[in-house]
Amino acid sequence: MKINWSLVITGLVLAAALAWVLGKGFGRDPHEVPFMLTGKPAPAFTLERLDGAKGEAKLADFAGKPLILNFWSTWCGPCKIEHPVIEWGFGKFGDRVQFVGVVYQDSRENVDAFLRESPPKYAMLFDENGRAAVDYGLAGVPETYFITKDGKIRYKHVGPLDPSRLTQEIRALLEDAPK
Amino acid sequence: MKLLLLLALAAYAPQHAGTPITPELEAKAHTIGKTIRCAVCQGLSVADSPSPMAQSMMDRVRELVTEGKSEAEIHAYFVERYGEWILLEPKAEGFNLIVWVLPFVFVGLGLAVIARNTAVSEDARQAGPAPEAADDPYLKAVRDRVEKS
Repeated sequence: MKINWSLVITGLVLAAALAWVLGKGFGRDPHEVPFMLTGKPAPAFTLERLDGAKGEAKLADFAGKPLILNFWSTWCGPCKIEHPVIEWGFGKFGDRVQFVGVVYQDSRENVDAFLRESPPKYAMLFDENGRAAVDYGLAGVPETYFITKDGKIRYKHVGPLDPSRLTQEIRALLEDAPK
Repeated sequence: MKLLLLLALAAYAPQHAGTPITPELEAKAHTIGKTIRCAVCQGLSVADSPSPMAQSMMDRVRELVTEGKSEAEIHAYFVERYGEWILLEPKAEGFNLIVWVLPFVFVGLGLAVIARNTAVSEDARQAGPAPEAADDPYLKAVRDRVEKS
């Protein structure tokens, strides 16, 4: 039997292309949400303050120092576990880094009750309809953005932070080390 | 029918949006929302998912539609943040063309193989038995025995 090599090679090339496409798709973690804003300027926001200071706060109000932007909610269990870690980080690095909490899609009553029980030590803002969250490419709470002093997103941490990871990322942020 | 659909959609409009929008804009936002993946769901669009994240994303779609942004501009906004993954249907350009073109190439290739094989067997039928088969002494002996019996 005569083999048609051009047909065989064409078939193999097409099968390899298909295998590569499928491999690329199946190779990634299906739960991982891509994040494309690393290295890009942090999106501007104007949000209501919840920390006792009246009125609204803008991203520009926090310019000049590295910024840690922590999105959380009172309905999120891991956020409550993370909360003391962020407060600990503020106590240790608060003189060199700014900490801002952003309450994401929550009821005002629940937030007020939580903050009465645990008054915020750092700036606390309210993103009621989640507009800032979507601008930042949020995929859930808690998520924490490490923003350089020149306003670029260096790293986004998904899930609750532990003290060692927070320390590691703050040190890298202070050294402005490339990610 | 279209009016009924628009009115039905409008009933849901002010639920999450800060400012109510017209039924026409809500219908446009809903159509665009159907093409954007909910970041925390399994294969659901932001228009179909009841999750808070999807609601936030749908609200953003409504805001962008109200600002007069086109579907391409709204897609670009979400792709800039979440990558092309956020689109439920990948764009038919660049590398993605493989996904769109490959099935047609395989179908074409299959049809070509079938057509070629059909033509070969038709030629063989018209040409009659192969000469070597006609001269085969074993087959000749079988034929002789069949004819005699």
